[in-house]
Parts: sequence; structure tokens; C-alpha cells
Amino acid sequence: MDFSVLAAEAAGNVDAGKAIALALGIGLGSLGAGVGIGNIFGSMIQSVARQPELRGELQGIMWLGFALTEAVVFYGLIGGLLAYVLI
Amino acid sequence: MRRLLALAGTLLLAFPATALAKGEFDPAEEWTLHEWIPLHLGPLDLSINKAVAYILLSALVTMLIGIGLMRVKTGRDPTRKQALGEQIYEIAQTQVAEQGLPTKAIGMWFPYVATLMLFIWTINMLGFIPLPLSDEKFELFGVELPTLGIFAATSTLSVTIALALMTFVFTHVEGIRHNGPLKYFRSWIPDVPKALYPLIVPLEILGQFMRLISLSVRLYANMLAGHMLILTFIGLIFVLENVVLAVVAVPFATAFYLFEVVIVVSIQAFIFAALSAIYIGSAIEPEH
Repeated sequence: MDFSVLAAEAAGNVDAGKAIALALGIGLGSLGAGVGIGNIFGSMIQSVARQPELRGELQGIMWLGFALTEAVVFYGLIGGLLAYVLI
Repeated sequence: MRRLLALAGTLLLAFPATALAKGEFDPAEEWTLHEWIPLHLGPLDLSINKAVAYILLSALVTMLIGIGLMRVKTGRDPTRKQALGEQIYEIAQTQVAEQGLPTKAIGMWFPYVATLMLFIWTINMLGFIPLPLSDEKFELFGVELPTLGIFAATSTLSVTIALALMTFVFTHVEGIRHNGPLKYFRSWIPDVPKALYPLIVPLEILGQFMRLISLSVRLYANMLAGHMLILTFIGLIFVLENVVLAVVAVPFATAFYLFEVVIVVSIQAFIFAALSAIYIGSAIEPEH
């Protein structure tokens, strides 16, 4: 099935469009955030393996970065919810 | 005595029946705020509702935690309670205040960021403890009592916007107070060729307001999503009207609950305070 058929079917169905918007918002948001959070923890492991004595200092920065990255999911969620509720 | 217990047991069993009999289950219902005590000042709506009750309660609890851990019976011979208080203080001092604030401003702004941290932690934490502060009522021995429910005041946008607005206002007031308005607003704009100014200046001004949005939406969406996940998993049982689903749904809901309580609650409190400190600090001492 090609996308034009899908689009034509969805055109008459607003609920389907809303569901797609919500799912895309959360899905793409979590995709990016997943990569980002993986990066942060990966770098943390590397740096602690190289210099274990810096663990304490690095931990604060790590959690800061974690929360900043994780928030990206929720921007996607809010965007999806806005599309779901407002349209 | 045994007869009383049996009666209580049947009563408890009767409650889910009335809850189920309500019919339509709407998750959004959890976040509608009904006015408990209407207070209207012209266009301002200052009514006491669920969120306000939670804020007042957590303000009280924050004060009790602060006074109890850090003022009552402290001394040379530390108890476990004092050690806990000192640990919280140390996180607020070294991880939050000293990371963001310049040395000359710590004395003035440490109380603010430490209070923010403790207050947001408390308000988030109270959101995960079942409390009799909800709109729905049930009858027990002829007395109408509110049902136990979990609700975080921070999962409503107006609460987090108010918190973020405080930081936003303090940031610019401190920036202007320490640097003078001209030098402060000049410090928003980075060193770029003059030709790029039409592009950069609106972006930087927008960036200042994006801070306000990101600060509030981060906390709001985190708490909203956490509660929504738990509600969705528990709600699946009621939406699909199938008790067997509880075998899957309840462990998942419990896992998310624990994840929220152990990690998210503390991290969001820490982040909010740390970012407030960084914003205020960078306004007091701009980098160039």
C-alpha cells in the first residue's frame, strides 16, 4: 500500500490524523532523546573509567544533561497533545 | 469485634463497585480543577482548588522538613536526622548554588535556590502519596469523605509557570541591578559581526523567553507524563473492563511509580533549582 492511499483514507478521518500527530510527537521526541541520553551515560562511563576520582563532580553535570535531554520527549508530548486537543 | 471487621470488609469491597458503576472513564477528568472555595477578584481567579490545596500543603510540609531537619536539636553530636539535613544542605550548596551563582551572590540567592529545590521536591513527592484531597467523594458511615488520590500540583501548567516566572523576574532584576540596564541588555547579544544583528537580536530576545517556557514545561510535562502513565496502565483495566489485565497493568504501573518516585521527582527538583541558579548567576555576571 503506498502512502497516497493511506493519506486519502486518513483525510476523511480527523481522529486518525489526531492519533498520528500524537504518536509522531511522542515517537520522534523519544527517538532523539533516546540517542541523547545514551550518549550522556556512555560518555559518563568513559570518563569515570578514565578518571574515577572525578565521579562526584561529573555526576551533577550528568544529571543536569540527562534532565535537559529527557525534557525533549515532553516537548514532543506537549506538541502532540496540543495537536490532539486543539484541532 | 469480628463482626465489625467483617462489616468493614464488605464496605471496602462495596467501594470498587460504586466506582465501577460510574461508567465512562475519562483520564482528562483527573486534571480538571473544580473550585472548592470560589474567590474572584475582578478578572483574577484566585479560587481555592485541588492544585492550590496541594501547594499550601506542600509549603507547610517544606517548612516542617526544613525546620525539623536543620533547626531542631542540631549540635556537635550529630544524629542520623542531622546528617540527612546536612546532606540536603550540601547538595543545595555545592551542586546547585556553587555551580551557577558567582561567589558574591551566593549569600543572597542561596536561600532562594535551596528553597526551590526543597519545595519542588516536596510538591512532587506529595503528588505520589495518596491523599484525601480529591474532587470525588464516597460515603463512609454516612459521612462524605474525599477519595484517596494521587495528584501533583506541578502537573498543572499554571503552577510551574508561576515558579518559572519567579526565576525569570529575579534573573532580569538582578541583571539590571548589578550591571545597569544598558550593559545588561547589551550582554544578551554575543560577539558577532554587525551585519548579523538583525538575525541574532530577535533570536536572543526570543531565547530569553524560551527559557521561561522550557523551565516550566519541563517540570510540568515530566509530572504530567508520569501521572498519565500510571493512570493509563491502571485505567486500561477499567476501559477494557477486564480484571485479568491487572496481572500486567499493575506491575507496570508500580514500576513506573517507583521510577518516578526514586528518580524523576528528585531530578526535576534539582534541575529546576540548578537552572534557576545558572540563569540568575549568568545575569549577575555576564560572560563578557
